[in-house]
Amino acid sequence: MIADPTLLLPLAVLWPMLLAGLALLPGWGSRMVLLLPLGPLPALAAALVASRDVPVALPGVLLDSGLELGATGALFLGGAATLWFWAGVYAAFYMRRDERPAGFALFWNLVLAGNLGVFIAADIVSFYVFFALVSLLAYPLVIHDRQPASMRAGTVYLVLAVCGEVAILVGLMLASFGAGGAIGIEAVRAGLALPSAHPAAVPLLIAGFGIKAGLMPLHVWLPVAHPAAPVPASAVLSGAIVKAGIFGLVAFLPLGMPAAVAGNVLMILGFSGLFLAALMGLAQAGAKAVLAYSTVSQMGLVMGVLGFALAGGSAPAAVLPAVALFALHHGLAKGALFLGVGLAPVCGRAWRWGLLGALAVLGSSLAGMQLLAGALVKSALKDQAGAFGATLIGLSALTTALAMARCLAVLPRAKSRCRPPLLMALPFLALSGAALWLPWLLYARITGETPLAADLRSLIFEAWPLGLAALMIAGAVAVGLKAPSLPEGDALGPVQRRVAALSAAARAAERAGSRSLRRSRPKPQTVIGEDLDRIEDVFREGAAAAILVLAIAGAVVAASLI
Amino acid sequence: MMTFAPLLLVLLPVVAALVSFALPERLSAWRNGANIGVAFVKLLVVAYLLVQAQAGVVFEWRYEFLPGYDFVLRLDPLALLFVTLSVFLWLLTTIYAIAYFDRGPNLPRFFGFFNLCVLAATGVAMSGTAITFFLFYELLTLATWPLVAHRGDDKSLRAGQIYLTYTLAGSVAFLAGILWLQSLVGAIEFSAPADLGAIPPLTLTLIFILCIGGLGVKAAIIPFHGWLPEAMAAPAPVSALLHAVAVVKAGAFGIVRVIYDVYGIGTVAELGLGVPLAALASATILYGSVRALMQSDLKKRLAYSTVSQVSYIVLGASLVGPFAVIGGLVHLVHQGIMKITLFMCAGALANRMGIKAIAELDGAGRLMPVTMAAFSVGALGMIGMPPVAGFISKWYLGVGALQSDAAWAVAVLAGSSLLNAAYFLPLLYRAWLLPPPPGRPAIAELATTRDRMLILPAVVTAVVSLGAGIFASLPFSPLGWATLVGLGYLR
Repeated sequence: MIADPTLLLPLAVLWPMLLAGLALLPGWGSRMVLLLPLGPLPALAAALVASRDVPVALPGVLLDSGLELGATGALFLGGAATLWFWAGVYAAFYMRRDERPAGFALFWNLVLAGNLGVFIAADIVSFYVFFALVSLLAYPLVIHDRQPASMRAGTVYLVLAVCGEVAILVGLMLASFGAGGAIGIEAVRAGLALPSAHPAAVPLLIAGFGIKAGLMPLHVWLPVAHPAAPVPASAVLSGAIVKAGIFGLVAFLPLGMPAAVAGNVLMILGFSGLFLAALMGLAQAGAKAVLAYSTVSQMGLVMGVLGFALAGGSAPAAVLPAVALFALHHGLAKGALFLGVGLAPVCGRAWRWGLLGALAVLGSSLAGMQLLAGALVKSALKDQAGAFGATLIGLSALTTALAMARCLAVLPRAKSRCRPPLLMALPFLALSGAALWLPWLLYARITGETPLAADLRSLIFEAWPLGLAALMIAGAVAVGLKAPSLPEGDALGPVQRRVAALSAAARAAERAGSRSLRRSRPKPQTVIGEDLDRIEDVFREGAAAAILVLAIAGAVVAASLI
Repeated sequence: MMTFAPLLLVLLPVVAALVSFALPERLSAWRNGANIGVAFVKLLVVAYLLVQAQAGVVFEWRYEFLPGYDFVLRLDPLALLFVTLSVFLWLLTTIYAIAYFDRGPNLPRFFGFFNLCVLAATGVAMSGTAITFFLFYELLTLATWPLVAHRGDDKSLRAGQIYLTYTLAGSVAFLAGILWLQSLVGAIEFSAPADLGAIPPLTLTLIFILCIGGLGVKAAIIPFHGWLPEAMAAPAPVSALLHAVAVVKAGAFGIVRVIYDVYGIGTVAELGLGVPLAALASATILYGSVRALMQSDLKKRLAYSTVSQVSYIVLGASLVGPFAVIGGLVHLVHQGIMKITLFMCAGALANRMGIKAIAELDGAGRLMPVTMAAFSVGALGMIGMPPVAGFISKWYLGVGALQSDAAWAVAVLAGSSLLNAAYFLPLLYRAWLLPPPPGRPAIAELATTRDRMLILPAVVTAVVSLGAGIFASLPFSPLGWATLVGLGYLR
């Protein structure tokens, strides 16, 4: 159909944008919800057949931007497109009677375009544009149901997303300047590796992408925002959209050039998140919140490894395939888990046991259960994490397994003897299958090693954290132990209370302002406001005086000249 | 024949002004037709000139009106950048003003001065000497006053008075500056910067302060910005124009001329004047944003936002790095199209639903979706959200600041972005996500009284803002043209 497969790259981002545009036509909203699965198809085709490392120039667009599909990007793109496709099928059914179909279809497709674009951008400007799309326009998806809790979650999300955007923008400016004004991603990354690079560039980029990927302690938005969205949107948020942050790190961290401070900080934060987030997840009451914490934990694992690689100067060619493979597995598995949680209320009796079984398999895979895909991708990652990191990753099987068990324990109950509709069950099964099978399929091609190189004895030996987890779970079930409970977003509570007090004050000031507007001059209410108004008054009087002096001086000069 | 093209651009508005003044109100259709027709013809002339200028032709028209004082109209690339912006936005604002006023009082006077105003703005852009520039600059001051005070109530008259006090004082300072310089080096031609080497640095510095201080009044640099928020008493089409092209931009444009064509980048750098001016511009950027955050009136918030945004242009001009120069110049255009969108939308909201305070915006998106969509594009652009044009300005300014070894300016830009988000996003939140208060007209009711001409101009500028960002690297995009201009100065 298309002669040149590289043309699939522009199509991959333009096609969802076109679908988004159609959703704006009056009355087309619910029709476009039905067509949600179509959005990621060109991207899926591109991930499969588009030529690698062949730039597609887009002259005239942005700053003469371009698209290019690298090997790492192809894995991210393929995984994201698969997840978006099946989540789209699920959404087409799940959202079919939604009150606001047009808004959902519009922002779903725009976020999709941004999400896919991040993986194929060849220059930092188009990268930033796509990143802003995926980051900021996910806000309407988070608040889609307009419940008070979702609105609060959305506000937290938006504030952190905007801060992240600014950090990334400044980081990219510094990086581009350091690379002599170049905007190609490869050139910019090379520039960041130079000793002359601005010392703030890498930390800013880490902070900005870290916000998106849930780097502790910047993760607080994630456990409140992901569960707030409708189920299919949660799936793509946690499965695909956080990967935009990981991909940002993958694309820009100057791997291969030891950067001790930034690398160690990233490693420490990442590995702390790996354990702390899983433990916090244990204390959650909602299954989606547990899964969101598990996302923070797993992304912490990836970022910890990236930090280690950055600090030690590992070559990108060694690290990135393992990271991409891990991201692929996590994205598909986490997407499937979210869809599975959404299935729980419609799975009665026997169906529920089936669902629990499938979720348990997925959870064990995430935890790194031997012979499942998760163990495979983790073993690739362990090779790049050093001895200490590998031990930590091995230990994390314990916390992850416990978190997954918690998720199963708090799974919502079905009402009665209902059976899941096919269009909701099929995406779940397909994604689960892909998560468990694709890493096996791709492992050899990507890492160049045969899977299962380790002998059986070490496999069993390495399984002790999981065994311990199984014992603890069994014990907890036997004793009827109740987990402690923490609010979603942990540290967010105190911060939010203060922010709420501040914003209440601001609203009061605004109300007072609009009241006094009806009188002739607005009277400011807050202390800061009064100070600034006083400054403004000084300016007003001072300006008159200054202008007068200027004018008199001018008149004297003019008179003496003419 | 086309050597008269500059003259044609100045004379056409005179025709429209005379027609507007002369025709009685019952022939308003003719007046409207003449206004739109003339604006359209000007746009065609400008399109022709752009193509010619791309090929390197520079039009010039010269007339000696006093011995030693030439009246020069010259269309260099910088002039064309501003002329194109003003002519394009003028056409849209004319259409908007006709729909906005419909059958109000004193319209012949309004459209008459409106045309004198466009004449002055075009003249400011095309001036080839400092004296010519000053003549048009003064004409602009005087022609705008009846527009600011158009409503004739106490508030408008007060605003008009404040406006005149500030701008006339500024003009005197500016005039003193150019006369002083002229007495030292002879006539100041923009096409060929005079050799300032023989003049003592202190004198040069004083002249620079006089000129920039005088022009800074119109460009609303602190502490001379006080008139701008007061001038909000003017009707929406005037505010739109004031903020986007006419008055504020004339000041910023003048500052660009002084830095590049009177002093030259090298001299400004030698005298060490760039950094203080950049610091002042940065202070204005942040101060304007903080003040904007505190306003409860929609138009006032937009006004303080202008105070902040126009200083981006001054910041770019005073940093003198290659990208900063381009960023400042391109923001001249980008700020214009984005801000005019916001003001035209604000005017439409006030006109159709009586929305003036920010608190009244609730649910506006549901009732007037097209208007609010255009407004949203403008607001996101102001924040610097890609792919709207404002992002391109910010990118160039940021990288430019680094090139000029002014990393602090990047921090200013970042802080300003956050502040912009803090005062624009709540507006969008209210408009799109909160329910409309009781007592608002129903959608069906609004639909019966809809006037497409009130919305269309804002939609056009919103689309152009998006296009200018998405297709920034096309040769005739604002960025393409600003690069052409900027490279000319950097050579």
